[in-house]
This record gives sequence, structure tokens and C-alpha cells, in this order.
Amino acid sequence: MRAPLPLRVRLVALVALVFIAAPLLSLLWRVPWPRLVDLLASDVVTDALLLSLVTSLAAAVVALSLGIPLALSLARMNGFVASFVRAVIVLPMILPPVVGGAALLFAFGRNGLVGSVVSDLTGLVVPYTLTGVIVANTFVALPFVVLTIEGALRAIDPRFELAAATLGANEARVIFRVVLPMVRPALIAGGFLGWARALGEFGATITFAGNIQGKTQTLPLAVFVALETDREAALAMSVVLISVSLLVLVSLRDRWWPVR
Amino acid sequence: MTDTPEFLLDAGVVLQRGDLHLNAELRVQHGEVVAVMGPNGAGKTTLLHALLGWLPLQSGWIFVDGETFEAPNEDIATPTHRRGLGMVFQDGLLFPHLRVAGNIRFGAAPNKDLTSLIETLELSSLLQKYPSELSAGQTQRVALARTLAAGPKMVLLDEPLASLDTTGRSRARDLIGTALSENLSGALIVTHDPVDAFALAQRVVVLENGRISQFDSPEAIQSQPQSRWVADLMGWNIFRGMRRGTSVLMPNGTEIATTGLQADGEVAAMINPASVALFPERPVGSPRNSWLCQVRGVQLLGDIARVSLSGPLNIYADITTTAAAELALKEGTEVWVTVKATEVLTELDSSRD
Repeated sequence: MRAPLPLRVRLVALVALVFIAAPLLSLLWRVPWPRLVDLLASDVVTDALLLSLVTSLAAAVVALSLGIPLALSLARMNGFVASFVRAVIVLPMILPPVVGGAALLFAFGRNGLVGSVVSDLTGLVVPYTLTGVIVANTFVALPFVVLTIEGALRAIDPRFELAAATLGANEARVIFRVVLPMVRPALIAGGFLGWARALGEFGATITFAGNIQGKTQTLPLAVFVALETDREAALAMSVVLISVSLLVLVSLRDRWWPVR
Repeated sequence: MTDTPEFLLDAGVVLQRGDLHLNAELRVQHGEVVAVMGPNGAGKTTLLHALLGWLPLQSGWIFVDGETFEAPNEDIATPTHRRGLGMVFQDGLLFPHLRVAGNIRFGAAPNKDLTSLIETLELSSLLQKYPSELSAGQTQRVALARTLAAGPKMVLLDEPLASLDTTGRSRARDLIGTALSENLSGALIVTHDPVDAFALAQRVVVLENGRISQFDSPEAIQSQPQSRWVADLMGWNIFRGMRRGTSVLMPNGTEIATTGLQADGEVAAMINPASVALFPERPVGSPRNSWLCQVRGVQLLGDIARVSLSGPLNIYADITTTAAAELALKEGTEVWVTVKATEVLTELDSSRD
């Protein structure tokens, strides 16, 4: 039992809570609930919904498959190297997504550092395509995946790996039968967090993949456009996004951040 | 390499870890259980980790059953998982995501019949439980089963009984003893409890400050401790003082005669309580080590009476209860305490604490 807080502190806390909750509540207040289903059935919305679902799930899968090996490596690093690598990984979390999208263009664009080589070799062009959306989504989702899993990995007693090795387990078996199963909750949490982040991604997507309905226009982009043209549709789509985010956070409860 | 090698384990372990410089040579015979004892920080766990290949040797060698596992000179270092050395950790370290059955099966060959092992360690009723549902004693039994199920060439046990209470301890000790004798080609068991060491091991190696100070049978450890730490552990009387001729001169002026002192300067005299004799009168021929002391207390340990005495030196004597009755010992009784000079062991008092 802690000592009760001074009244002033509690008042400021209340203001902060209202500040966060009020915009969301106001938005929900304006939603034309009876017409919600009709609004969500329009072409623009279904296109964006489907596109968002596909790209965000794909991004979550890619981010997990890239992020798990990265988290495993990062958890074995120490000192300056670890701090430096972690800073690089966190960068997309802090960076304005538009800058992230621009950076992606310079890397994977038709004339980008990597993109020019890829398009010369395979003829593939990534920007302004569905793949581009997935790339942009993965870029912003990856840090959440890596940090969540790394935190859990660091909390494991390394002697579990020794124990497994004394039982004859080689490096791969140690990872797949002991280490990864032990951090299963973090794998799930990291995946869901990455997915939620990808689903809400706006800046990097619009910069790197454009805003083409049915091709690269995801739900957040459609919301942004609809705010100008069809406010009610924008509200309906916002409801979908808020519900999904809430669902993820509630189902992960306190497991959503790697702090122990 | 077809003949059976003489030793199951033949190791010379030299490595530096923090302040600890470990330099220990160790040989374990086939079928032998060797206990590793020593003060905290002496390098016992480090030694096990080095044998497992978890810490690299700086120099030395590790041969197991005639196979070279590590030889820094020849650039040989077999990875842990191919050494076939089992390890039981102090805290069990069962995999929390696997049930008991999954833990035991982890390192076992797919079709291996583990029924008798599970029965020996009395685990049949626990197989479907998760490690978090087990008591400390059950955890250690599962840990041992998991290690033995993998069919190791040799088992290393790091304080396997330390986390158990007294009742769980003696039962677990019996079960471990049975399981080891049924399953094993050899074992190294780290323990701080002489009871465990003497019950489970045929030989005891004493590790102090990274070096082996004694490697002997339990009987020899008990009767001829080679260091103050062992003597203290065995409940011996220990007196610190300066060398004077062949005697040890204590700070209060009392001299303890010995048959010859190897060490110079500050030394410790060590006397087995069983070697201390008590007489109502001054003994004839007046041996050099005889002092008039007062009884402070008498404690009965089975058919032994442990008499604590104070006087020119404060000393414990272990005598038979019959002898104690004849002397009519009670608090304040004055008796003559004698110790043969040949029964006084000495050690250079290097570790002042």
C-alpha cells in the first residue's frame, strides 16, 4: 500500500487522462453508428480494408522472420556495440515516418542504392506497389518486434542454454527447442505489436508507396483522403482502426512492453 | 585406442576468471564418484563449467574415456553438446515450458526405455506436471533423471542438494546415491556438506583458491586434513600462533608441541577432537602437551560426548560417554587435557581472515 497522492497531482493526472481520452471519445461521438455497416461496404473502404489487412499481416510475418534472428544476435551483444546496434534499430520508431519513407525511396527506389541493383537484375520495382506498402510497414514494425523479443531473451538465464547443450542439443536445437519456446509470450506480443503498428502506418507508406486506391491506399490513407470528401466514411474507418488497436493492447495486457 | 583408458576423466584445468586463477589436475576412475569441496569462490563451479566446455581453458587438457575434449596446445575444443558430460545444476534449471516428461525426454534417444530410471527416482506421478508445480526436492530428482536419461559418459553435479531442507535432503541423497550407482560410469559432485560428500563419494578433492589442496579418501580427509579449511570443516580444533622451535606459540603464551614444523612464521595447529584425552589427575611422565582446563559444557552425540573446555587453550574433546561418566564431568570440573605431539597437524597460516 502506497501513501495517497496530493490532490494537485491527482488533478493533473486527471487532466492528462482526459487529454488522451477526449479526442477518441469525440470521434466516437460523431460516428454515424446506424449507417456504419453501409459506410464500411463502399468500394473505397473495402479496398482499403482488404489492402491494409493483407499488407499489415504480411509486414508482421516479415518483421517476425527478420526480427527474431536480429533479436537473438542483439541479445548476445554487449557494451558499445549493443547500444549502437539498438540505436539503429530504434531509429524508425523515433524518426518521422515521412523521413523513413524518403529514406526507403533512396534505398529501394528505382534509382536507390539497393533498388537500382534489384531492378537491373530482376526488373522488379518496389516503390508505389503493394510490395512497397509491405516494405514500408515492415520498416516501422521491425523495431517493436526486435525490442520486445530482445528484452525477453535477455531475461533468460544463459545457463538454460548450457543445460540444453549438456543434454546433447546442438546450437539449432538449443534455439528452437529451448530459447524460442521460453520467450513465446514475447514472440506473440512482438508480432501483435508489429502488426498493430503496420496497420496504422501512414507517413512512410504515402511517401514510399503512394496513395493509389486498390493498389497502395491503406486504411489510414483512405481515412486521410475521406476527411476531405466523405467525413462519415472517415469516421467509420477510424472506428475500425481504434477497435483493432484496443483489441491488441487489451489482449496483450501488460506484456506489451519488454520491461520487467 | 582400443584398450580401456586408465581414467574416465583426466583433466588439467588452467584458466583465469576475474580474481580466480584456477589450476587444478584431476583424475577420476571408471565407476568412481568424486566429491569436490572447498570454500566459496574456490573455483568449484568454474571447474565444472570448464570441463563442460562452457569456459575455455588457457592451458591444460581434458581427456574423457581416452578421447581428447580440449587441448589448447593442439587447438582442440569439442563443443559442449558433443562431450557427453551430464550436468545437474544447483537449482535444477528444468525447462519451464516443458512438462516433467518432456524435460526427462529432452536429451534421451527417441526410443529409449526410461521406465526404470523414472521408478528409481520416484517420478511416475509427476510426469504430467510443469516444473513450476514441483517442490525443490522433486525438481532435483527430475533434473537428475533428465541428465541420466541422456546417457552421459559422466555426470557433474553442482550442489544438487543445497536447495533442499534437511528431510528432503537425506531422501534425495539416498535416491541420488541409488541412481548414480545404477546408471553411472563416474561422477563429480560439488558439495559444501561433508555428509553428502562422504555418503556419495569414494574420494574427495578439496579445492581452495583455485588449487587442489587435498585429494583423498573420505577417511583420510577426516583423519589427515591437509589444510585449515578442511580441519575446520571436520570440526577440528584450530589454533593460530607463531612457530617456536617445533612448537606453535599462541598469543596467550600457551605452547603446543608438534613433531616437527614444515612451515615458518605464522602457523595453524590442528587437533582432532578424538585425539584429545582427558584425565582427572596430572598424567604421569607429564607429556609436553598437557594443560589443566575447566569443563564448560558436555554435549552428547550418540555414544560420543563432546566436551568443551577452557583454560590455557579453549579446546573440544570427543570422548566416549562411558569415559565421560567415569570422569563425572560437569560444568566447572577441572581436568587435565593432553594431546600427543604426533596428533598435532600444522599448516602455514596463509589465509588470515
